Amino acid sequence: MRLRTIKYFFRESFTSLVRNRWMSLASVGAVASALIILGSFLLLSVNFDYILKDVESQVEITAYLEDSLDKNGISRLNNHLTAIIGVKEVNFISKKAAIEEFKEQVGKELLEGIDNPLPNSFRIKVNDPHEVAVVAEKVEKFAGIDEVKYGKGVVEKLFKIIHWVRLIGLAIMIVFAAVSVFIISNTIRLTVFARRREINIMKYIGATDWFVRWPFLIEGIVLGLIGSSIAIGVLGIAYNYLYITVKLNLPMISLVPKEQFYDYALGFLGIGMLIGAFGSSFSIKRFLNV
Amino acid sequence: MIELFGVTKMYPGGQVALKDINLRISKGEFVFIVGPSGAGKSTLVKLLFREELPTRGQIFFSGRNINRLRHREVPYLRRRIGIVFQDFRLLPEKTVYENISFAMEVIEASSREIRKRVPQVLDRVGLSHKVKAKPSELSGGEQQRVALARALVNNPDILIADEPTGNLDPDTSWDIMTQLDDINKRGTTVVVASHARELIDCMKKRVIQLEKGSLVRDEERGVYSNET
Repeated sequence: MRLRTIKYFFRESFTSLVRNRWMSLASVGAVASALIILGSFLLLSVNFDYILKDVESQVEITAYLEDSLDKNGISRLNNHLTAIIGVKEVNFISKKAAIEEFKEQVGKELLEGIDNPLPNSFRIKVNDPHEVAVVAEKVEKFAGIDEVKYGKGVVEKLFKIIHWVRLIGLAIMIVFAAVSVFIISNTIRLTVFARRREINIMKYIGATDWFVRWPFLIEGIVLGLIGSSIAIGVLGIAYNYLYITVKLNLPMISLVPKEQFYDYALGFLGIGMLIGAFGSSFSIKRFLNV
Repeated sequence: MIELFGVTKMYPGGQVALKDINLRISKGEFVFIVGPSGAGKSTLVKLLFREELPTRGQIFFSGRNINRLRHREVPYLRRRIGIVFQDFRLLPEKTVYENISFAMEVIEASSREIRKRVPQVLDRVGLSHKVKAKPSELSGGEQQRVALARALVNNPDILIADEPTGNLDPDTSWDIMTQLDDINKRGTTVVVASHARELIDCMKKRVIQLEKGSLVRDEERGVYSNET
């Protein structure tokens, strides 16, 4: 391909962008707003995921021990529990440690002079939070174990909710991606339609399909890139604000770090470019068959 | 140069536009295709530059069967054919110069060739002084001359004109015909679909007459119509 031809492609696409500036603006607006909506859902869902992972990792089993169990019994039991398949970590919490922790939580004064009512216990972490119920059942069977607690029912419900939230989030994102492609291909179809005479003449003169296609492709890609840049800017500012606000006011919720946003930004530029290219080649197809 | 063997064109719905046309146009000829509107002139023109494919029959261009061209080969056929339409088909926002250089950019000519060639053809059609004008600032005749220049700029083997004077007054029409004759005298084959009776009678060229899709007359130095 000649350099002159490449220059021609760029000149044509930029002239067209400027000549149809209102249409171009509309396209950029469409790309930007579609991607902002898409991006909001994306950020929402990755953050939700992030928080859920956090919650998931906190799921653990507490096994309370019978008071009659002596030191040897405890250490033997510890070994048994560690050997269960799916167990990641077993921590022994003595009566003393348990009451200290409790005091921390409710305040020393309240428990002053009361006999320690708390039993010895093991805190068991599992590899896969979904296996909590299975592991708990096995733990319960050992002698010397008084009671096992893991938030039975609550955990199962939580996992069910997480599953549905993820599924719905994914569905919404797919719908919005499709809507974006549709809006953009429609707007670019308007530009192509406005230039159908030109395309027609080009074909009569002996232009190849690719010669006709390139300027539109470049135009679409430029529109997509500008639109996605605007979306990235808006989302970036909004997320930064959200991140700081949450960190200051709700320190127990941890959001996806800001830095990770740059990865998404790159992905967004790519998506914008693809949508533009796809939209324009989709729109021009019909006009090439002359 | 161009040969048609038993060419029939039917449109969807069963309407027959051309019926069993056999035709041979040699290099350097000047040929009028005449007939009332609806006789199949435009269809014949469309078949020649392969906007349409015949339903039956074969069309050869310089010995090549153009029915068999692949989609991506079609542009290269069209580069050897200059096309002029009744409605000029110029790009309104481009200047005269740009309208013509555009045709060379499309076939990826070099800048130097374009700078050399565009003024040449503009001079030939007598529009050197209107280089920077937009089509809307030109008369119909001048616009058609720009279209002629555009058709010629890539040195086609053949020039096909579909009703080139259909939108023009008699004087201007005569001017365009003279231009076409001039182009033909310089060696380009010229095919003109027209029903400009007086002009055709004056030109004394080969006349091919179509009637309801059939070729009814093919005559050297003919006139528009034998009746009367």
